[in-house]
Amino acid sequence: MSARLRGLAALLCLAAACAVPLDPPPAGPPDGGGPPRRGGVLRLGAADDPHTLDPARGYDTASWSFELMLFDTLVAYDAGTNLVPALATSWEQSPDGRHYTFRLRPDARFSTGRLLVAADVKFSLERLLKPTIHSQGAEFFSGLEGAADFTAGRAREVRGIVAAAPDRVELTLREPDPLFLHKLAMPFASVVDPETVVRVGDDAFAQHPVGTGPFRLAEWVYGQRLRLERNPYYFRAGLPYLDGVEVTVGVSDQLAWFKYQRGELDLAGIPSAEFARVVADPRYRPLLLRRTTLTTQYLGMNCALPPFEAVEVRRALNRAIDKQRLLALIDGRGVVAEAILPPDMPGYDPTLAPYAFDSGRARAELAAAGHADGFATTLWATRDDTTLRIAQSIQQDLRAVGIALAIKPVDFPALLEAVRRPGMVPLFLMGWEADFPDPSNFLAVLFHSRNRETNNNTFFADPAVDRLLDEAEPLPAGPERWQRYHEAEVRILAQAPWVPLFHPASFAVRHPRVRNYRLHPLRPARLEAVWVAW
Amino acid sequence: MGDGGRGRGLLIAGATLVAAIVLLALLAPYLTPYDPDVTVVARYTGPAPPSAAHPLGTDTLGRDVWARIVFGARTSLAVAVLAMLVSLGIGVTVGLVAGYFGRWLDTACMWIVDLVLTLPTLLLLIVLATVLPPSLLTIPLVIGLVGWTTFARTVRGEVLSLRERDYVLAARALGASHAWIIVRHLLPGALPSVLALAALGMSGAIGLDAGLSYLGLGVPLPTPSWGRMISETQTYFAVAPWLVVVPGVAISAAVIGFNLIGYGLLDLLGAPRT
Repeated sequence: MSARLRGLAALLCLAAACAVPLDPPPAGPPDGGGPPRRGGVLRLGAADDPHTLDPARGYDTASWSFELMLFDTLVAYDAGTNLVPALATSWEQSPDGRHYTFRLRPDARFSTGRLLVAADVKFSLERLLKPTIHSQGAEFFSGLEGAADFTAGRAREVRGIVAAAPDRVELTLREPDPLFLHKLAMPFASVVDPETVVRVGDDAFAQHPVGTGPFRLAEWVYGQRLRLERNPYYFRAGLPYLDGVEVTVGVSDQLAWFKYQRGELDLAGIPSAEFARVVADPRYRPLLLRRTTLTTQYLGMNCALPPFEAVEVRRALNRAIDKQRLLALIDGRGVVAEAILPPDMPGYDPTLAPYAFDSGRARAELAAAGHADGFATTLWATRDDTTLRIAQSIQQDLRAVGIALAIKPVDFPALLEAVRRPGMVPLFLMGWEADFPDPSNFLAVLFHSRNRETNNNTFFADPAVDRLLDEAEPLPAGPERWQRYHEAEVRILAQAPWVPLFHPASFAVRHPRVRNYRLHPLRPARLEAVWVAW
Repeated sequence: MGDGGRGRGLLIAGATLVAAIVLLALLAPYLTPYDPDVTVVARYTGPAPPSAAHPLGTDTLGRDVWARIVFGARTSLAVAVLAMLVSLGIGVTVGLVAGYFGRWLDTACMWIVDLVLTLPTLLLLIVLATVLPPSLLTIPLVIGLVGWTTFARTVRGEVLSLRERDYVLAARALGASHAWIIVRHLLPGALPSVLALAALGMSGAIGLDAGLSYLGLGVPLPTPSWGRMISETQTYFAVAPWLVVVPGVAISAAVIGFNLIGYGLLDLLGAPRT
């Protein structure tokens, strides 16, 4: 190093030493005993307004986080992935598995004060199936008897949904569906207030949502804030503890972090730059929240587009990518993915790891497939910092085996649109988070040939896989079902339409005053039992 | 009005800075053992501070910052030179044609210039960079397409006065063609001020390239570019300030260097500063 360079390095070391030390977390009451306290407002931040507050139309995390505050479903998840009663106190299934009878709570009221009855459940499920609603959730309930006739306009009601008595709902399916209760636990199946829907209309309901949930919407100033207040008629005695929730809109992740440190927000994610310092800092440790999610991030390969129509090329890519480095790039927030299903998913097999990282072997396989000189292709990815770093890491790995990768950064909606078009996207970076804890929600949704052009974005088609998936579908939850899906997963991995990359875990920090806030493996956090101390 | 001494001083200072950057760009492969696009740390654990092996530290992908700076000099200079050629080509042509032929052609050209000038530069850049396919040539083309108006106006102004000079009138009386007059008599007359403007334009192009890269619309990944180096690492400023400071200094040096050359030339020409 020349003298001048050394001087410069010394100067920079000085600059490095000037790195701003990590600010302490906001001050608050120490954790400890004491009963939950009623009152207070939880302050949250969001980058954008929620897409919608109409449960029939929301299918994204942000919309769902609000829907869980405003509405209830017949059944719901406990702190884990077990189904528990919600608006229904109990249910029975007929021996043939096609009929369900739900007994409703006698005390559930809408935030207008009106008692919930069986007809409201029927109204809500039928509304979801109305063609004019264009609900992405409709497909989950298309198995209800008479749903097709109703959707096609041949019937004025769905035969399979019967309000048998004010406190009893009977649902009938065309075929047994072992996932039906999970589908009823999706926010799509929330019970909405028919009086409000009729009064304001289907479209305006998104701005004037009324349900039975712990909170009701007090104010939504678009682009600025949403204010929710306690639903005084909420059926769980004594809940919610909070007087309300205020969400400030237009707060980026970085800004949310600053506002959290200043004590202006009660919860925030941790920016990548600060992550290592935050988790190592004893002041932050008691405030850290962590959850594993049923998510797999992957590199998708278009099996209908050369050169990825050749399975040898797809396998070679599976060996060419250094996943440990990718994990390091996301601050170690998660675990490396070797297969499709995430840990915590029934049927997950930790021994399934068909492709080890081996550039030399990848290069040899590419040569054997006729690509000794490599080739050029394009990777589509969203334009956020982390994704583009992952893309560049993959880019150098593929360069090492002779593949020249161009990165095409696009917005998320554009990516979703593009990957559905056959022949448009050769390679893409995406993630999939399960809606419910069943392998079909990964394997059938993403790899069944009938789902090409919806969610099977690799255009993967294998008759044997289709057959295994079809056989598994009606089987009840249990070893036989998991075994069938496992066979399908092994076969899909052998065909290698994906390079599974990692299963991310999500992290957040809470203000010390926030109590009983728990991240959930399947859904946004529920807030009715959250309270604030002082 | 300038005096020759100060102009020369500015010119030398600017030329020194620019020469240093040009040397960085030309000698890039000899100035670092590292590939600027590749992770060089064995195990990435976040950006590393300056050390003996990596005098400017490593970035958020474990790449050598010094290597990215020297190879980034190539990107910044190439983008600036190409952008300048596009701007010069369009601007000088329009200026010559408008100034020489005058009348309705002049009105039309100046109307277009005014139109382009009314468009918000950065917004226009963003739209063009989004619409055009990403490639190494897109960004200079986009910057060039936005930046030609100053050349057109200046050249037109020069030509308006030059075309009434005796030697031009004589050439015309002798039956010289329009093309001949433009290329042989008008262009050389306008050249000095064009050169000064070109230097100033270079600094503008470097700044715009940095801005576009900062917005995520720069040259294709992973090509190192100083603007992108800042945008990629801005959230790390509290943790690893060198990641932002180093490319920031480089951009400033390049912009100041070209500006000094431009103003130095203008001073030497005795032109008023704009």
